[in-house]
Amino acid sequence: MTALLEAEGLVRRYTMRRGLLGRQVELRAVDGVSLRLERGETLGLVGESGCGKSTTGRLVLGLEAPDEGTVRFDGAPVPPVGSAAWRAQRARMQMVFQDPLGALDRRLTIGTQIAEPFEIHGMAGAQDRVAGLLRDVGLREDFAARYPHELSGGQRQRAVLARALATDPALLVCDEPISALDVSVQAQVMNLLIDLQAERRLTMLFISHDLRAVRQVSHRVAVMYLGRIVEEGEPDAVLRDPAHPYAQALVSAIPHPGRTARRQVLQGDPPNPAARPPGCAFHPRCPVAVGLCRSVVPELKPRASDGRRVACHVAQGEAMGEAA
Amino acid sequence: MDDPLVRISGLRVAFDGVPVLRGVDLAVGSGEAVGLVGESGCGKSVTWLAALGLLPGKAQVTGSVVLDGQELLGAPMPLLDRVRGGQIAMIFQDPASSLNPVHRIGRQVGEALRLHRGMDGAAARAETRRLLDQVGIPDAGNRMEAYPHELSGGQNQRVMIAMALAGRPRLLVADEPTTALDVTIQAQILDLLATLRAETGMALVLISHDLGVVAETCDRVAVMYAGLVIEEVSSARLFDAPAHPYTQGLLSALPPLDGLPRQHLAAIPGSVPEPRALPPGCAFGPRCPRRASLCDEQVPLLVDVAPGQRAACRILGADVPPAFGLAAA
Repeated sequence: MTALLEAEGLVRRYTMRRGLLGRQVELRAVDGVSLRLERGETLGLVGESGCGKSTTGRLVLGLEAPDEGTVRFDGAPVPPVGSAAWRAQRARMQMVFQDPLGALDRRLTIGTQIAEPFEIHGMAGAQDRVAGLLRDVGLREDFAARYPHELSGGQRQRAVLARALATDPALLVCDEPISALDVSVQAQVMNLLIDLQAERRLTMLFISHDLRAVRQVSHRVAVMYLGRIVEEGEPDAVLRDPAHPYAQALVSAIPHPGRTARRQVLQGDPPNPAARPPGCAFHPRCPVAVGLCRSVVPELKPRASDGRRVACHVAQGEAMGEAA
Repeated sequence: MDDPLVRISGLRVAFDGVPVLRGVDLAVGSGEAVGLVGESGCGKSVTWLAALGLLPGKAQVTGSVVLDGQELLGAPMPLLDRVRGGQIAMIFQDPASSLNPVHRIGRQVGEALRLHRGMDGAAARAETRRLLDQVGIPDAGNRMEAYPHELSGGQNQRVMIAMALAGRPRLLVADEPTTALDVTIQAQILDLLATLRAETGMALVLISHDLGVVAETCDRVAVMYAGLVIEEVSSARLFDAPAHPYTQGLLSALPPLDGLPRQHLAAIPGSVPEPRALPPGCAFGPRCPRRASLCDEQVPLLVDVAPGQRAACRILGADVPPAFGLAAA
């Protein structure tokens, strides 16, 4: 069986002008990302702001067209954006964003908004289905008559999830779905995502900056840095023994009470995507970078020892015999 | 604590008659690092804004905030002006909106030096440079001429910290200083705060929603819920022996880093109550797995439950079997 979603070599460039009369600068938000999502699997995509994780999500959904690369959904290429075929396919792929209030229309009741996908995609029996969806996401049926401002943050995110599930999608892209919620409510929404994923055999792309949350919901995790995936593997394996120096820093940055070992603090700021360092983009901040890292871009490939996919010359043992 | 640097007692704040702080007691000793945690709306930021007289005029503030034997609530403006920045400095979540976008950062740090230490000219410039250096701004001499938009979020937060240090405060109140920053930058800023505290001996109040961040940085943690401190505990005991059901709930709602993946988290049901519609008695009651009838009778007070640990839960002292759910801790 083919994977539900296959993305190959996705590149997304933006051009921006520096200053009033400045020359155009090219910014590669996504720089050669390949993803494979098996049916019923959740892939967690982690990275810091500006690493291209949200753009990757938008490319996968076809909300933006890639400059290079292809996205195949259910074995077939995604139709051109805006075409009828694309619109029909969109019923099978849905998304959830960080800010539920921004995603809901404040002047429409929750019930109307959950029923809207049925109208758009010409499906019957909206009223009964709305009640069922509300139950599925843990809201009472009478919430259908309420307006977004009458709900708490967690309830709003549940309503957004109910609307996303209305067309019974195969793929759900969640972009920081819990970041705007309080700690106790985050746990509720993560539980709900785990349940929905298992019950409906949903395939999920879970985008987050929080490694803890990613471990909680994902079967696999991909770490992004400046437009590229630098490491990919099982969440527990990556958390226990991160191979890429950047993944090591991310794991080390997770606050941990009673920590005895000193935290590894990365020096410097996240680099500017418009001025991408040559070679490995991480080398200016990397504690183990060698000469090779400054000139050659490392490829994401399985490591010899255990098959972990990592894009690092040092972790791959390609930098042997070179002084740091 | 015998002689704390700051003692907040019975602090109450109401906006338009709606209570948001309902009698907060908190003491911070000299050189101590205290964490203040809780979910949005619990009053953790309002506590310090009220203490420093930074709330809008419509806020009704009562209670007492004593710094070095001096009452700050209702104190005359000139005294507050000396305290704010000079004795107690505060930094906020979003450094970009705290800095003036049209002035160079060196000038903004220099302004704090002029206000609080009467420095001018070359002396102020030299001290600005030293402060920027101290907070880890690379190439401080040239960066003094930069505008806030030319710096990254992490560097702007460092500038804010430099401005806060300019008045040589005895207490730095950091309100979610790393929430808007990336994870690796958050680690840098927490590291910097710990280093500065060791160097200068100032006390630190770290306000955060992140139990991990607070426990790692602070000696002692106060947990707030619906306008009250409901538990006060050493960071060491916070994770090992939390007493209040809310604290226990917050801890078990954190995704673990080991054990079976994708298991259900013990989420706290429901959500934080609205300040204008608080339940009677313990505000956490409706979400609490150990709620009993005595919980609804009166608002619980903070009492000692172990050496160095206080909790506001009437179930803990009383010999009442849990109503449902969790067994006694």
